[in-house]
Amino acid sequence: MSIEEPGKKEVPLTNLKDGESGIVVSVKSGYGRAWGLKKRLMDMGITPGTKITVVKTAPFHGPLEVIVRGYRLAIGRGMAEKIFVKVERVE
Amino acid sequence: MSEKKLVIALAGNANVGKSVIFNYLTGLHQHIGNWPGKTVEKAEGTLHFKGYRIDIIDLPGIYSLSTYSIEESISRRYIAVEKPDAVINVVDASILERNLFFTLQLMELETPMVIALNQIDVAKKKGIEIDVEKLSEILGVPVIPTVAIKGIGIFKLLDKAVEVAGKKTRPKKVEYGEDFENAIRKIEESFIDYDLPYPRRYVAIKILERDKEIEEEVIQKNPGIISIAKEVGKKLEEKYGHSCPTLITSERYRIAGCIAREVQKIISPPRPTLAEKLHEVTTHKVLGYLVMGIILLSMFFFVFAFGNLLSETLSNLLYGLKPFLTFILETGFLGELFWGGIVEGLIAGATIALPYVIPFYIALYILEDSGYVSRVAFLMDNAMHKMGLHGKAFIPLILGYGCNVPACLGCRIMETQRERLIAAFATTLIPCAARTVIILGLVGRFIGIQWALVLYVFNLIIIFLLGRLAFKALPGEPTGLIMEMPDYRLPHLKTVLKQTWFRLAEFLKIALPLIIVATFTVKLFEEAGLLEAVNTVLSPVTVRWLGLPEAVGVSLIFGVLRKELALIMLANLLGTTDFSYVLTPIQMVVFTIVSMFYIPCIATIATCVKEFGWKKSFFLTVFEILFALALGGIVFRVLSILVNLF
Ligand SMILES: Nc1nc2c(ncn2[C@@H]2O[C@H](COP(=O)(O)OP(=O)(O)OP(=O)(O)O)[C@@H](O)[C@H]2O)c(=O)[nH]1
Ligand SMILES: [Mg+2]
Repeated sequence: MSIEEPGKKEVPLTNLKDGESGIVVSVKSGYGRAWGLKKRLMDMGITPGTKITVVKTAPFHGPLEVIVRGYRLAIGRGMAEKIFVKVERVE
Repeated sequence: MSEKKLVIALAGNANVGKSVIFNYLTGLHQHIGNWPGKTVEKAEGTLHFKGYRIDIIDLPGIYSLSTYSIEESISRRYIAVEKPDAVINVVDASILERNLFFTLQLMELETPMVIALNQIDVAKKKGIEIDVEKLSEILGVPVIPTVAIKGIGIFKLLDKAVEVAGKKTRPKKVEYGEDFENAIRKIEESFIDYDLPYPRRYVAIKILERDKEIEEEVIQKNPGIISIAKEVGKKLEEKYGHSCPTLITSERYRIAGCIAREVQKIISPPRPTLAEKLHEVTTHKVLGYLVMGIILLSMFFFVFAFGNLLSETLSNLLYGLKPFLTFILETGFLGELFWGGIVEGLIAGATIALPYVIPFYIALYILEDSGYVSRVAFLMDNAMHKMGLHGKAFIPLILGYGCNVPACLGCRIMETQRERLIAAFATTLIPCAARTVIILGLVGRFIGIQWALVLYVFNLIIIFLLGRLAFKALPGEPTGLIMEMPDYRLPHLKTVLKQTWFRLAEFLKIALPLIIVATFTVKLFEEAGLLEAVNTVLSPVTVRWLGLPEAVGVSLIFGVLRKELALIMLANLLGTTDFSYVLTPIQMVVFTIVSMFYIPCIATIATCVKEFGWKKSFFLTVFEILFALALGGIVFRVLSILVNLF
């Protein structure tokens, strides 16, 4: 039996399965309004180094429900794709 | 002796209980519910306390002192520029870390402040215990534990706020990490002739954060500073590998986290509570939608059943009194006028409108105060994207069922002007409580409850289609959903009843006099023979195109004032509240559909003008009139054909 080195991979939040957690690495954004949204995400506590848990994903590419800093947050899929996290995962 | 004056503002994250405290202190009626973003504009109230005349200011809830949203701008401008004598920072004790992130920013403004450690009852239930004294010591700010809905701690809170305002006590300085402190100091020291109306340190941090507004103010007076800040910031960015705004936000959160960990003890390990299980079910992929259907249906039936019962009881009672009243009042012209104007108007108002309004608001406020609203927004995110919006836009739609006016204001929770406009457009088409009166009181009562339900569904489909059209007309990429979902809680009965009562009082104060005046006017017009003239002029549309009785013309005009007036005046003009004698079922349906869509009432139009300007509101109004008339005519023809077929 061979297990690959448990690698830390950097993936968008949307790649996480329900119940999985990761550590935020960065929130990607453009300029203008998108920047405002990135700022909003960070103001709500999604800053680099924060643990974030995906509780569930709504069907048909719906929003994600996450737990961050002890409270429950709904994030639209488009936004969640811009949040990059590190997960410890055995592939 | 004249009273001394003080201004105290309530600030904090969304949904922490600011408005509950505000209402408690001032006796006013700010909207309360368990979802974030209810207060969208600052509100003022006064109270007298210990020889002071205190103005209390309720501010919109925000997560940060930046200016990316309207609420943030309003709150920041008030606290930083208008400068209250003291700020009461309301903090949700059950989400301490995130709340402290905001507290730290407030402290940078150096305004005298007090912390209301609110919802400690909720925190306790979650097994969180907070060392109040330690927190107060670390921050250098008085901390008062409160349970706002029960009024616990509020007196002490006010007392402390007055005290710090009087002494002008400044909060402690929050120390950032060493590298940051060096950077901040360097910027602070570079100011020459500092004369901005904010603390120097605050400005230094803000320009390091690249806050546009502060940067502009600084450029006007000290242009050199910006380049220094850029330089200093660059070093930080190189060292830590993130942009400065990100770094400062992270740093603040780091400090907030440290403080939170230091002062709070999580006693019992969190286990799934009933609230969490409810959350599971109501946001479930499949069950969630099912439950939503069931909840909305039961709400509908509750309102209808309760409303009918009340309507009949009131009718019997009031019409029972009628002979008695006519006996007292002399007859003749004046008697007629008086009887027709006041008594008929009152009876119509009380029997047609009130019965449905009461149970409706009770149901709506229970829904709001439980926390269900944000779950619906979560479930509807997808559907709303089809209209170029996101889930949060469903909240003003829900509020719209109550009254379109606050709902249109509530559209401010959307991020861009385009989204706000589309959301407001959809909101004005939602049948508000007044239109519910027409739907339930006419179609529901005289044709059948299932047909009323069909009309509601029909209405939603039309809104969805029009929303898509509006999206096509105003294209743009929808912003994404970012929304806190607060824990469920047992609706606070007193709050629910109070808000319902307030609505009712509003109805009695505004609608009833209006109904009376309208009835009066109609009687006068009738005597003068003008009624005929108006109705005749409108008859090509009302009679020929819509297939309705002539009297509808005048009643629809009155409906512009308040939607329920359309039905009440119709009752008046046709001389009965039993519509089954005077209207065919098809006529009832057509009349209801036209009333549902034809124009936002005058108060809603005024709100739209305020939010979006004359031009857009005018366009919206004209569109809705034409659309409703077109739709009404089509429905009339389709239904007539169908009836003939079967
Ligand atoms: N259990 C409990 N509930 C509270 C307490 N204070 C407020 N609430 C509830 O918290 C919810 C939010 O209260 P609001 O006063 O509307 O909150 P707000 O801070 O004005 O919120 P926004 O205007 O949306 O920013 C309501 O459902 C209140 O009933 C408290 O001390 N204990
Ligand atoms: Mg509020």
